[in-house]
Amino acid sequence: MSFISAENIKFSYDDSEKTVLNGVSLKIEEGEFLALLGHNGCGKSTMAKTLNAMLLPTEGTVWVENMDTKDESLVFEIRRNVGLVLQNPDNQLVASVIEEDVAFGPENLGIPPEEIRERVDESLKAVDMYEYRTHAPYKLSGGQKQRVAIAGILAMRPRCIVFDEPTAMLDPNGREEVLNTIDALKKRGITIVLITHYMDEAVLADRVIVMDNGKILLEGKPREVFSNVPLLKKHSLDVPQATELAYKLMGAGLKVSKMPLNTDECVRLLEEVLG
Amino acid sequence: MSIIETKNLSFTYGVGTPFEKTAVDDLSVSVNEGEVIGLIGHTGSGKSTFVQMLNGLIKPTSGEVLLDGINIWDKPKEIRKIRFRVGMVFQYPEYQLFEETVRKDIAFGAINKGLSGDELEATVRKSARFTGLSEDLLEKSPFDLSGGEKRRAAIAGVIAMDPDVLVLDEPTAGLDPMGRDLLLSQIIQYHQERKNTVFFVSHSMEDIARVADRVMVMNRAKLVMFDTPRNVFARVDELHEIGLRVPQITRIMTGLREKGHRFSEGILTVEQAFDEIVDRLKREGKI
Amino acid sequence: MIRDVALGQYIPGNGIVHRTDPRVKILLLIAFIVFIFCSFSFVSLGIVTAAVAVIILLSDVSLKLYLKSLKVIIVIVLITSLLNLFYGTGDPIFKWGFISVTMAGVYRAIFVSVRIILLILISSCLTFTTSPTDLTDAIERLMKPLKVFHIKVHEIAMMMTIALRFVPTLLEETDKIMSAQKARGADMESGGIIKKIKAMTPVLIPLFVSAFRRAYELAMAMECRCYHGGQGRTRMKTLHMKGSDCVGIIYAAVVLAGIVLGNIFFTAVI
Repeated sequence: MSFISAENIKFSYDDSEKTVLNGVSLKIEEGEFLALLGHNGCGKSTMAKTLNAMLLPTEGTVWVENMDTKDESLVFEIRRNVGLVLQNPDNQLVASVIEEDVAFGPENLGIPPEEIRERVDESLKAVDMYEYRTHAPYKLSGGQKQRVAIAGILAMRPRCIVFDEPTAMLDPNGREEVLNTIDALKKRGITIVLITHYMDEAVLADRVIVMDNGKILLEGKPREVFSNVPLLKKHSLDVPQATELAYKLMGAGLKVSKMPLNTDECVRLLEEVLG
Repeated sequence: MSIIETKNLSFTYGVGTPFEKTAVDDLSVSVNEGEVIGLIGHTGSGKSTFVQMLNGLIKPTSGEVLLDGINIWDKPKEIRKIRFRVGMVFQYPEYQLFEETVRKDIAFGAINKGLSGDELEATVRKSARFTGLSEDLLEKSPFDLSGGEKRRAAIAGVIAMDPDVLVLDEPTAGLDPMGRDLLLSQIIQYHQERKNTVFFVSHSMEDIARVADRVMVMNRAKLVMFDTPRNVFARVDELHEIGLRVPQITRIMTGLREKGHRFSEGILTVEQAFDEIVDRLKREGKI
Repeated sequence: MIRDVALGQYIPGNGIVHRTDPRVKILLLIAFIVFIFCSFSFVSLGIVTAAVAVIILLSDVSLKLYLKSLKVIIVIVLITSLLNLFYGTGDPIFKWGFISVTMAGVYRAIFVSVRIILLILISSCLTFTTSPTDLTDAIERLMKPLKVFHIKVHEIAMMMTIALRFVPTLLEETDKIMSAQKARGADMESGGIIKKIKAMTPVLIPLFVSAFRRAYELAMAMECRCYHGGQGRTRMKTLHMKGSDCVGIIYAAVVLAGIVLGNIFFTAVI
């Protein structure tokens, strides 16, 4: 059985007739890095929130290991295992001192004080914010705040972290910081679900799912998915410029064996062609 | 003719306190009427402070801002009038919406400027059209709009003052690719019709490459480059040193140049790159 | 800069006062407030003044800051002492028209102004030497017994923590919204008070909307981190009584004894 599996999920908000999710099934294996793409309103954020029981599907079931997210008695166990990092770093931090904020999760779980200290130090070191532990959050940059928010989830020692557009409000430096942190967490064996509309972030994942209109539109390895340039463009999704160039050249009659996803791959491809 | 010009413009925060910090240092620049100026630099480089001095929201500690050759601080009591001539759209402008209806919110700036009656109504409609807001949205509460619509309503509120100079601070931040493309093309279209001067602050080099006639690069409170996008993005190494990246397509073409291939410097769009490569391949008979 | 002013209360340091348990400091503050108001003779007032002076000198905070905190209330001190000066009973020592000053009035004026000044100094000392988080923490723990009366102690403390966290954020936001509305030609400087209040609407509405949005998102983030109230919650930082805390308690006891003796053996003047 997969680590997380969603079976034919449907979801609509109480006060609206619109179905946000319209029959989504997906499986996430332990240790995997999955990217969930799609434009605003396609249902990707709602999907994310069903994974840790923040939202319960109106139809279908989400399983985290053998726990049904509908089972109220398991809610904290599920949220401890599947952490959720949200878009706005400012609105996720609770305390005015960074280390106390990171301690918030373990404190709620009733962990003994000495162990909380250990977890807080460990988590802050993992996101490279240890030296700021006694600072106030409001003096940090966006990228730093988001890393503190990640540390706050990490201190609960989750097996999976779902990131709901964690870089949407950050500048390029902040984005890079957060992406490097996500990469480091993946190397530690934490399962990653990254929700984004930046293709260059999705390229880093093991597997990509593209959503549209509450349904899964495309699924596969980044290279496979991004080869579908016309389909992606039709659904107003961005394609990396490297891929777009290669795709256009293919249209002009060039043979491309392997679709390039980043600068280096594209340079190598053109080198070969141009000789 | 230059519409806006700064002379040795400087601003220092918290003079005489331990927090003293120079945000803009001796910046002189001259911008012609009808130009689109891209402004880049990483967070804290002084971009925001600079643009807020253009409409008198921040008073320079030294130096001056000339609008049509006149120092905007000549009559400090009339600084409010400058704000109708230099319109400013802040980052995440949707957080400034407050009126009961979108129509009233768009009208706010225009009413402050002194417009009323038919003239006001015409301006509001025109601004809504420029930003792609449909008529039926005008009677809604701004808080019921979608994220992208809110953004456009807020921008319409500044356009309604019909400013000669429009400053846009990260207008596409946080939008998805669809919303971003739509907004960018609306801004370009508005500029082409109104022929006004635009300052476009952005972290997205791709967006800057698409809209700007000239690009200002700021680093540590100073203006370090001011040139056409092609010339600015040709200086890949210098930009890299101050922590700025060029568009991916420019990096690809620079990579090929470094390997000895003769392509033009400072290629900014996929189309330009495609044309040059296809040209070359055709000449060599490879396609 | 507005943010630095708002949080300017706490001055980090490592003196004995800083290191004292915040619970003890709060209790000592309460004790001293009682002492200040129960000093009825000049000797008692002298003792409590000296006792406050010692704490302030030990506090590792520059005296300038204490003077600054007094600056704000100087007008209040002057007005109250003047009122007391004129409303004393007994034989006047000075008379001019309907204004008469009695000895009792003079004493009363002295006592009232010294008391207000001491009150400000000792409470400033607490806020200068204790971080806001320590303060809320200590208040939560001290109020714990009130749970018996169904007072939601944990919830109150959580609200204080969150309020402290968001004060700088919302101040910054106010700044931004004001700039944005000024850029749309809003006039917030000119006109009378009513016009000024009206002119604040474009700032207040977006600020409220934003505060509600933040509250909503924060609540969600807290739930994601398994928050479910005070039940079964542990704390990373536990407060333990140390030697220096006992010193504080003994100090208060000695001062108390001095004041009691001062009140018994010397004439009460107020």
